[in-house]
Amino acid sequence: MVRPAFWKVGRPEVDGPRLAHLDHDRRLVEAAQADPARFEALYRKYVAQVYSFAFYELRHHHDAEDVTEQTFLAALANLAGFEERARPADGDGASTFRVWLFQIARNAVAEHRRRTRRHTQAPLEAAASVADPQDVQEAAVRRDAAASAVDAISRLPTERRQALILRFVDEMTTREIAGILGRSEGAIRVLIHRALRSVARDLDERRR
Amino acid sequence: MTDRGTGGWTGRETGRWAGGWTGRETADLPDRDHGADAGDVDALITDRYLESILAAHARGADAGPTPAWEHPSTDVRQVSDWLVRGLPRLHPSFRFEEALAATLTATAARMRLPLAAGSAGTSGVAGVVVPLEARRSMEPASGASSIGGHEDRLDVPADRRPVGIGRPWLVGGALTSAVLSLVGAVYVAWRIGRGRRSPMARAVRALARTRPA
Repeated sequence: MVRPAFWKVGRPEVDGPRLAHLDHDRRLVEAAQADPARFEALYRKYVAQVYSFAFYELRHHHDAEDVTEQTFLAALANLAGFEERARPADGDGASTFRVWLFQIARNAVAEHRRRTRRHTQAPLEAAASVADPQDVQEAAVRRDAAASAVDAISRLPTERRQALILRFVDEMTTREIAGILGRSEGAIRVLIHRALRSVARDLDERRR
Repeated sequence: MTDRGTGGWTGRETGRWAGGWTGRETADLPDRDHGADAGDVDALITDRYLESILAAHARGADAGPTPAWEHPSTDVRQVSDWLVRGLPRLHPSFRFEEALAATLTATAARMRLPLAAGSAGTSGVAGVVVPLEARRSMEPASGASSIGGHEDRLDVPADRRPVGIGRPWLVGGALTSAVLSLVGAVYVAWRIGRGRRSPMARAVRALARTRPA
């Protein structure tokens, strides 16, 4: 059973590069490195995002939980070796905790796939969990829209799919996605652009 | 799932790709780094558009006005708007979240102990006793089966895992040494005293005394 997510972290009040969470993360990371017990703040901040990413990748509730657990345990165990380098002067490739965390999550997903040798095609359980008893019809429309969106994205190649999930669901910047996928920012922009066109064409063909 | 608005895919209703499908020649190319070309410009415009609508969504508002020349093609714009509203964000169950939080807390506590023990000699940090029962109480509930046994599945080399699992710890180098020394002294005294009172020892000594020199 999944429940609604309400993360509103790292969103500046004005338009522009949405990197405001970096400074805040640096303080949290330094605190957790000094005292591992304070890792919980980072965990609470990112657990839903990591879980969402894992769920979209694996499309199975328990598998997503398993990957989420492995991700945070590995992050905690290796936190001492993490170096926050997110400074304006760093430019492209600047490391952030979130990028690092999602690199771990991405590896955990890949490892999980290798271990289980299956790619579950279960229906989106999450879509059914949003039914609003006050408005069943609206909930049904919303559910159908969510299921269609997830299905459309699930048919994309791995990198395009991950880039779209990180951009739309986790609301990362192009720079962050580039750091996670190990590509240049320009390549990520092209990747997302093509992914959107693929989704549009896919939906169009299915509508015919 | 976070509410991102209602409504499904509306591409056909708005005049099926009114902007025309122009990306067929590049959509299936391998995703590799290219030099600056028309595709890069389109991708940059799309990226700016996504940034604006995601920021607007974060504010709970519709995307603000953007210059017409910065709009991506209609198909990309419609899909982007649809995905921003339609893709649900998910959250694990409260039970899972709390169980994993407890596991992380326990793991962090175990990590703190070697850290504190290593620094106690120089920083003068007071020793902290972590009773076994207290440590157990930080473990997740037995019902959280998906959490249990994480140590075995943690992708961390064995030599980098936290040590001391399953044992109470006394932290603080000087205090530890003092207590161990005291315990050692007590044990030696106990052994000496016990040896003197042992029936076997007394029998051996009595036998030795009765034997002729």
